Amino acid sequence: MSTEEKSAAPRSLAEALRVRDDVSLAALLRSRPDLITPVPTDLTQLATRAGTRASVVRALERLDRFALQTAEALAVAPDPASYGELLALMGGDEEDPAVAAALPRAVALLREQALVWGADDRLRLVRTARELLAPSPQHPSPTGLGPTVREATAGMSPGRIQEILAAVGLPSTHDSVSAVAALGALFADRRRTAALLAGLPAESREVLDRLVWGPPYGQVTHDPAAHLRALLDRGLLLPTAPGTVVLPREVALHLRAGRAHRVPEPVPPPVEAAATHRPQVVDATAAGQALAALATVEELLKEWDEGGPSVLRAGGLSVRDLKRTAVALDVSEPVAAFWLELAYGAGLIASDGEADERYAATPAYDEWRELPPAERWARLAGAWLTATRTPGVVGGRDAKDRTLSALGPNLDRSAAPEVRHRVLALLAGLPEGASPVEGSLLARLRWERPLRGAQQQRETGTGEARDDDLRSRIARWTLSEAELLGVTGRGALAAPGRALIGAPEAPRPAEREAEPEGPGAKLPVHHHRTPPVLVAPTPAERAAATATAARLLAPLFPEPLDHVLLQADLTAVAPGPLERELADVLGVLADVESKGGATVYRFTPGSVRRALDAGRSAADLHAFLARHSRTPVPQPLTYLIDDVARRHGRLRVGAASAYVRCDDDATLDEILADKRAAALGLRRLAPTVLAAQADPAALLEGLRAIGFAPAAESAAGDVLIARADSHRTPPRAAPEPVPDGPPAPDDTLLAAAIRAVRAGDLAATTPRKPGPGGPGSGADGDGAGAPGGTLPRTGAAETLATMQAAVLTGEALWIGYVNAEGAASQRVIAPIRVEGGFVTAYDHTADEVRTYPLHRVTGVAELADDAG
Amino acid sequence: MNGPLIVQSDKTLLLEVDHEQAADCRRAIAPFAELERAPEHIHTYRVTPLGLWNARAAGHDAEQVVDALVEYSRYPVPHALLVDIAETMDRYGRLTLSKHPAHGLVLTTTDRPVLEEVLKSKRIAPLVGARIDPDTVAVHPSERGQIKQTLLKLGWPAEDLAGYVDGEAHPIELAEDGWALRPYQKQAVENFWHGGSGVVVLPCGAGKTLVGAGAMAQARSTTLILVTNTVSARQWKHELVKRTSLTEDEIGEYSGTRKEIRPVTIATYQVLTTRRKGVYPHLELFDSRDWGLIVYDEVHLLPAPVFKFTADLQARRRLGLTATLVREDGRESDVFSLIGPKRFDAPWKEIEAQGYIAPADCVEVRVNLTDSERLAYATAETEEKYRFCATTDTKRKVTEAIVRRFAGQQILVIGQYIDQLDELGEHLGAPVIKGETSNAQREKLFESFRQGEISVLVVSKVANFSIDLPEATVAIQVSGTFGSRQEEAQRLGRVLRPKADGHQAHFYSVVARDTLDQDFAAHRQRFLAEQGYAYRIMDADEVLAEEG
Repeated sequence: MSTEEKSAAPRSLAEALRVRDDVSLAALLRSRPDLITPVPTDLTQLATRAGTRASVVRALERLDRFALQTAEALAVAPDPASYGELLALMGGDEEDPAVAAALPRAVALLREQALVWGADDRLRLVRTARELLAPSPQHPSPTGLGPTVREATAGMSPGRIQEILAAVGLPSTHDSVSAVAALGALFADRRRTAALLAGLPAESREVLDRLVWGPPYGQVTHDPAAHLRALLDRGLLLPTAPGTVVLPREVALHLRAGRAHRVPEPVPPPVEAAATHRPQVVDATAAGQALAALATVEELLKEWDEGGPSVLRAGGLSVRDLKRTAVALDVSEPVAAFWLELAYGAGLIASDGEADERYAATPAYDEWRELPPAERWARLAGAWLTATRTPGVVGGRDAKDRTLSALGPNLDRSAAPEVRHRVLALLAGLPEGASPVEGSLLARLRWERPLRGAQQQRETGTGEARDDDLRSRIARWTLSEAELLGVTGRGALAAPGRALIGAPEAPRPAEREAEPEGPGAKLPVHHHRTPPVLVAPTPAERAAATATAARLLAPLFPEPLDHVLLQADLTAVAPGPLERELADVLGVLADVESKGGATVYRFTPGSVRRALDAGRSAADLHAFLARHSRTPVPQPLTYLIDDVARRHGRLRVGAASAYVRCDDDATLDEILADKRAAALGLRRLAPTVLAAQADPAALLEGLRAIGFAPAAESAAGDVLIARADSHRTPPRAAPEPVPDGPPAPDDTLLAAAIRAVRAGDLAATTPRKPGPGGPGSGADGDGAGAPGGTLPRTGAAETLATMQAAVLTGEALWIGYVNAEGAASQRVIAPIRVEGGFVTAYDHTADEVRTYPLHRVTGVAELADDAG
Repeated sequence: MNGPLIVQSDKTLLLEVDHEQAADCRRAIAPFAELERAPEHIHTYRVTPLGLWNARAAGHDAEQVVDALVEYSRYPVPHALLVDIAETMDRYGRLTLSKHPAHGLVLTTTDRPVLEEVLKSKRIAPLVGARIDPDTVAVHPSERGQIKQTLLKLGWPAEDLAGYVDGEAHPIELAEDGWALRPYQKQAVENFWHGGSGVVVLPCGAGKTLVGAGAMAQARSTTLILVTNTVSARQWKHELVKRTSLTEDEIGEYSGTRKEIRPVTIATYQVLTTRRKGVYPHLELFDSRDWGLIVYDEVHLLPAPVFKFTADLQARRRLGLTATLVREDGRESDVFSLIGPKRFDAPWKEIEAQGYIAPADCVEVRVNLTDSERLAYATAETEEKYRFCATTDTKRKVTEAIVRRFAGQQILVIGQYIDQLDELGEHLGAPVIKGETSNAQREKLFESFRQGEISVLVVSKVANFSIDLPEATVAIQVSGTFGSRQEEAQRLGRVLRPKADGHQAHFYSVVARDTLDQDFAAHRQRFLAEQGYAYRIMDADEVLAEEG
């Protein structure tokens, strides 16, 4: 970072950004991706955008608790504040070593996020952040501090101020400004203020004690009691409105021994382990659950195979259908909603989009079914991890008091993927096989991403730490869903789950070993630690992670069995998962009675009939059972199959599209004998009846063509039987996660964006050699406020020559360019090729290779040498 | 992990019986899991809240239960299930019923919100009295059973520490001269006595009466025995005189004909539930003596009003005896909450293996209806259908064939419909015992059957229960009470008493094919099939051909 050393103290955020190196800018853009959508033209614009209210709020909401506390402290500190002042506010008069150790990181983080800029002696909080965090009567600060003496005395009469000065024993001054300053200085002086307070009655000090941790406002009557009057006289309480007084910030800080926060939380609360199981047990339990998850999803889809429940008009599944599904799956409704959403999120079910809209399996389901079990699971788990849809809210009500239905709209919670990932990552941080104490996990999550409102409540001590906020709820859902899905087993993260989030196989020793030393470290934080901001894995990384997870999971699944135990009570027990083919046949031949590690099947006349309907003969079934049974086939079962088979098929039902009826057998003989009738698919059912496969219209047509004069019969006699078929939606894409804000950029994009910004910045700010044509008076289309602000102008020959030279030297050029719409802009390009009236060049401004017609280039200038 | 147990997500446990650890595993899970089915290879147990609470009451904690599951399980046990077990067991004992020196029976809690929750229930409110302190509320002593039952339904079972009254002492000894209680009977008595109250489930013919006698000998107090009918009452009396130190004079019979109240009194359910003008005149029997023990025979038949009376008897020891705790009315849980949890249960096949009941060959004979019968069956009114197919003529021929085949052995023909039985009796030349047969006549016939003077006896359902026919070796069932599982088991029980010559018992069920009869038969057989009795199925033609 050579630039940092040589530059003087930056005078603005833009300047501070300009001296940062690419890695550091990349860290900023990664954690605040909204800054590069769209890519700003230069650093000034970047700085402006980083100061907008929406962006700052977003950034503040993503700070961990200590960084936020630091920002809050800066907001009540003088602007600019030195590092020392900040440390005093955070650590108090008696220094807190933990705070001192953590503060450099927090400051570095705030700097990285472009919320704080300036050197250590002049730390400045971005103005918008300051406005957001500084106390005001409408928005009390989370610190519980009130306005400063200066702010509180803004509307006070000079005479009154002088009275206060007199009361505290200060000499009177000429003007109010110096008087207020003197008062402020007095309160800031611990020793003198202590002396002042010592002289007050005890009741007065009690009043102050009540206000000290905020809220700092109090009510007074028109004629305050003596102990209040004593405080008011000395300026220890200052009036803000009639009947309201406030404890000035300086006094409060004195009473708090200098601390801005009652409880600074420099260290993230550790996630505690509730119990530790052997990793093998964890993995086996998770694998068992994973298998159960697959079975459940398949069962759900089987249930819906011939067309699922209909889609509500507003979208989603009706409460009744959810209940029905829950009963069918033998789970509670929230769990049923989870399975539904899981299948939906993985693109296995969707609405079929027909007039009478129903849910059904997608074609992707058929593909999915063909995958090996471990991969099937990985598909589900991968979809779950990144989904923004949260089944947990199903059954609740939205802002308009409409019930949120499963598979319905408004289930997206953009925080979900990040919380999910974070929860799993925290689990991954525990020793292998350890399950977390839920409370400690939630506390940790709250520390990492405090809710600004909730925190205030904590600090003022008015309530227990509440954990019914959305993130905590998502975290709790994550824990239970992870268990259901087999990402965790007995509450601990299993190896496949670990692989799923791309965590290393064993937990790393300690995350935070290298802290910046001393307050002077200006290095952006990303040099020291893993960022708390989740770096979203690229699709490729995600695919690799799920593949690894599948690979780890596969050996954990028990080997499929090729046999079952048949019992005389007409049950069959599969003491483990069965081979696909066996399970499929058995699923038709018998009803499933109980699921889990094993499966219990029951043979009933109905189930045997089903198998016969599916085209198997009794002999097939006997052979099948004999082949797959370890024990002799019980006699009652043999008998059952024979008994059902005996009656099966005595009645015949077939499908015909039309029929021909004629009292004269001979006519029908004639028709059957005619070759031209072959296409009609005629079959004689009885002497006077022919059944046809052709539909009535085609049959009429056909018979007429042969030379008969058939008449159509009313439809009442027509038999139309359509075979029940698996119902599928048209191809459907799985629902895309709906993140709030732009996706976290990957490295390529970041690098490109930084290059683009820098190039733009370069274009806007670099001093240039005066071009041969001199600065022209052309229209300035560039809004970036570039110095000079005009387009370079050179003659065509000059332009061409300079370009060609640049191709040889590889130098970047600054050009003026007018596009087809006539808008002029300045660009920095590195020409690659000049031919046929076009220049092909790498455009630093746009960060891509572009081709420009030379005749649109107004002129060209070399970049100044010191542009770096 | 290669244990004998598979834990299913629906809380059933599958135990592979041929596994080397099966016996250990069975012992480990028996305290909390109900044996539901016991066919030949895989036995099914079920974990229910009631079972878990009973285990808690017996001093087992959640950890033991979880350990047993985890240790013997072949596959990892779903975490949710373990959590659920721990949570369910944790609900027990938050509420306690106990005797308070000043306030009598009180309900106390260790967890105030639970007490608040149950007190809010409309069903609890009328059962409790004044709130004594925030954790204690008074309970009317007569509502002890009711409140336990209601709390159980609310999911907060109360631990009953109020104890039992000893009752009026009366010396009873077992007279073990030349015989002794079998090991499982001893175990059953011990389990019952240790638990205080409860139900003992033993197969028919396995000597439940002796378990009752053993319990009485433990209690050494006046005893009230409730039985299903008069014949059964006589048999109890007979057996008690024979097996204990009790004499004829000490045992009273309280039935429709006699109203004796003695230190040991045997009453029938029927007389207790007789209602005159809306009141039960014989209820005072319960209060007529200070009973120390109440024995409910055939507890699966306990009539609904008796449940209500029983609720008032919570301070007395209660012993329920049954072969099949399946009630077609689904009130098993009332039996458990009012009489007590299951204290002992043995699979039929296990007792058979020990040689205490005879091995049985169960055969279902399927007869075809003739074409004209089929048409008539198809057009019969719905309520007549079963009767029609159950009494088809073909059954008679088959029954005769079977009787001829086992000529010389003691044969019982059992049926539901009197017309059918009369006709059978006529053709077989056998006496018929039905509802209208007087008790004297019945006992006379039973006695001559016992003596072998007559070898075939046709009985209606009046003889379903507690008739002791030691030498019956063949039972032929021609019709039954629809799909009653326990009736089937009771009837099989008629032939299960061990034969002097070690003969195999035969149980034939004659069923009309492709009719309701067959569906009912399938349902009836389910209990026995689940107990490991494999029915063979034969065609009527085969039976008739064998003969030919």
